[in-house]
Amino acid sequence: MDKEERNSRNLRRKVAAATDSGNGTAEEASASEMEESSAEDKGESMEDSDTEESDGEDSQPQCAGVKTQESKFDKSEDDVEGLLKEEEEYKEASDFSLDTVGALKWKEGITQKAAEAFLRQQQSAPNLRKLIYGTVAEDEG
Amino acid sequence: MTSASASLSYVGCNFLRQRLVLSTLSGRPVKIRKIRAKEENPGLRDFEANFIRLIDKITNGSRIEINQTGTTLYYQPGLLYGGSLEHDCSPNRSIGYYLESLLCLAPFMKHPIRIVLRGATNDQVDPTVDCLKATALPLLKRFGIDGEELELKIVRRGMPPKGGGEVIFSCPVKKALMPIQYIDPGKIKRIRGVAYSVRVSPQIANRIVDSARSILNKFLPDIYIHTDHMKGTSSGKSPGFGLTLVAETTNGTFLSAELASSPQGQGPAVLPEDLAINCAKLLLEEIHRGGCVDSTNQSLVLLLMTLGQQDVSKVLLGPLSPYTIEFLRHLRSYFQVMFKIESKPSGEERKGGDKVLMTCVGIGFSNLSKTVK
Repeated sequence: MDKEERNSRNLRRKVAAATDSGNGTAEEASASEMEESSAEDKGESMEDSDTEESDGEDSQPQCAGVKTQESKFDKSEDDVEGLLKEEEEYKEASDFSLDTVGALKWKEGITQKAAEAFLRQQQSAPNLRKLIYGTVAEDEG
Repeated sequence: MTSASASLSYVGCNFLRQRLVLSTLSGRPVKIRKIRAKEENPGLRDFEANFIRLIDKITNGSRIEINQTGTTLYYQPGLLYGGSLEHDCSPNRSIGYYLESLLCLAPFMKHPIRIVLRGATNDQVDPTVDCLKATALPLLKRFGIDGEELELKIVRRGMPPKGGGEVIFSCPVKKALMPIQYIDPGKIKRIRGVAYSVRVSPQIANRIVDSARSILNKFLPDIYIHTDHMKGTSSGKSPGFGLTLVAETTNGTFLSAELASSPQGQGPAVLPEDLAINCAKLLLEEIHRGGCVDSTNQSLVLLLMTLGQQDVSKVLLGPLSPYTIEFLRHLRSYFQVMFKIESKPSGEERKGGDKVLMTCVGIGFSNLSKTVK
């Protein structure tokens, strides 16, 4: 029976892994999955959580940590689940690189910085093509 | 040469040579209105009328209509014919004024052109014959316009106001031009120059050389400035002197600067020493601007790139001159060619002023006038 269940779970997990492509969906799928596992069997929780983490398909280890922590309180009640999800979404929005390691500081707002640098470059060098050929040049770049 | 293309219309007297030259090459008729319409002395000037006569001479079947006051000009170009010709240039402008346009047209003649031009060889306004000889001819060679026939020879030197100089210009004919990739000017290798003097003391040329060297020797040991004192019939009708300096780089780029004395009886008298020092400084300025082509020949190189084979040509220029900028606009209206213009700031290397990288695809202009042998 144990084996059977595990098989079926593995299958489900595979399906989940196959369907998720974006980050957001991945989180939700794994969260629901985890709930199931904790509700179904607690005897082999150690081993289970291990596997969970190893194949938890996300590149950020912080996510996994958050989830394991939260799996303690949840006793599969619907409103709690909803609350959890909300909390998770909130965590997602915050920038992880900020509260972890100092080495990742340079990544803060990197796209913003790039955009600013690009605009600065554009403004400092006059567009000679536009000056010479007039506004027509803009259409062609 | 598409004869059916629409005529272009311009207003004002500026850039007359450009408009007529590009009209001749593209085969598009051009109409220019309101030439100095509001001035006391309206219409075309003497030297412009003279230029139109020269265009008429080197082409076959051109139609030129000028209204009575000379304020409106209609030009329907014929075929570039070439051959052996003579032309008396107007004394108001030097031969350089006419030669600049001839350099643009000469490679596309039916017969190789060999023309004798008479007038002033050196003046203060236009690029002198010495300068064009040193800078424009090497440029033509880069496009494959080469051979013994390519020649510019000063037979007699003439200074304004009376002129009296004589120049022989001959240029071979080519079916197509080669594209160029000319983006590294290299470093200055040597400086050459000509200090000329006519109908004044021959000692003046020596004074010019000494003064010019006093500045340039600080930078470079390889300097040689010829003195060219012409006498008798080959010295023209008016006195004068001047200096042309040319800096040659390791990659065969020629950058030039020049100055001439004021015409007799006009303007302030110029000391030979001052003239030489100012000219040397102008050469340093030109080197600072840099690029692969000096500022007098920017438009010539852009024209030859446009008329090349259907291939990408690139050239690195110094800051664009106003004349070149207008020339670029004209190239677009006559040939529908737009250049890709990238500015290259001098940055940390401190290699002079900002440069501009010009890129275009040639229109595949082939010389239709040339007979197939």
